Amino acid sequence: MSVLRGFLWLLVFLLLGQATVELFHLPMPSGVIGMLLLTIFFGYRGGMNPDVVHVSQPLIAMLALLIMPGVVEIFFVAGQFADQWIAIVTALIAGTLLSVLSSLLLMRRYLPTSDTPGNPGDE
Amino acid sequence: MNEWLERLSQLPQQWFDSPVAAIALTLGAYFFGIRLFKLMHRPTWCPPMLIAALLIAAVIALLPIGIDDYNRGAGWLMLLLGPATVALAVPLYQQLPQIRALWKPIMLTLPLSATLAACYAVIIAAAMGAPAEVLASLAPKSVTSPIALGLAEELGGSRALLMGALLTTGVTAIFGVEWLSRALRIRDPRLIGLALGINGHALGTVRAFEISSVAGAFASLGMSLTGAFTAIVLPLVWHLFA
Repeated sequence: MSVLRGFLWLLVFLLLGQATVELFHLPMPSGVIGMLLLTIFFGYRGGMNPDVVHVSQPLIAMLALLIMPGVVEIFFVAGQFADQWIAIVTALIAGTLLSVLSSLLLMRRYLPTSDTPGNPGDE
Repeated sequence: MNEWLERLSQLPQQWFDSPVAAIALTLGAYFFGIRLFKLMHRPTWCPPMLIAALLIAAVIALLPIGIDDYNRGAGWLMLLLGPATVALAVPLYQQLPQIRALWKPIMLTLPLSATLAACYAVIIAAAMGAPAEVLASLAPKSVTSPIALGLAEELGGSRALLMGALLTTGVTAIFGVEWLSRALRIRDPRLIGLALGINGHALGTVRAFEISSVAGAFASLGMSLTGAFTAIVLPLVWHLFA
């Protein structure tokens, strides 16, 4: 029952997120806004609802599975861009490696180093 | 006998009339992907998701059904993507004290990182002579897919090419973060998480949760902030130049 109650919480905040998106014309998906609203709500209440904690663990573990179906479609439309693929693949791979490198360097430069590798927040 | 064979040949089509077959295929491919991934000694360049997606594509190609039949069924499974995204509030809240302490440096570095993530790919592709449609599909490549799809549509890009770009970016970002953080001797899970979330959207975030809950929370933060920032800034910048 706890899991179902937690799931209802998530659905309610998803709907609240959707309402916010529609009302304010935000260029963001409802899920992301719902996530931020739920975080703010937890902060306001000063603690998390145990039902939501219960249901969140299996759902987060499922994220990879939920992204997969969208990926399948590429293999069926790859032919459309056959004459462009060298530019596309180079731009994606080189561009991503460059941006990973620059964000790692930027963050290392500006983020204060953590005191210990095993932070207390890591439970 | 002939009639029986005919009925047998219609079976795949009938299976995929309801979402059950597509969901079963997705789940089966997922567990197969994880098992093969472990057998291959966990290569960073080939996440279980890629193996599973290839397997699903192969099954669809072999059976007399189309990608649309599969998408229709798998859409039921993807309904869970919304609540699962909301569920990310739990790790985000757990790491709130840590995030609050780092608020300023994150706000300083993240917009620049998110801008660079889009710029590098667009500049390289433009230099190699890719047309505007391709550039518009590559620009949102580091953003989580629901936001990226809306952006590509607004800029006039191709949905399918964008999905491909998201997959390639995610896989490259996971590989790049692991390789470069080792080369740069970066072990801070907060930093690795942020880099995974900013550059590798949801795929990077999933990977970050495998590393630790701290990395995962920072990855969700990086992913949402990159998404928000890019969603607001990219259309403005794009229409300024195009």
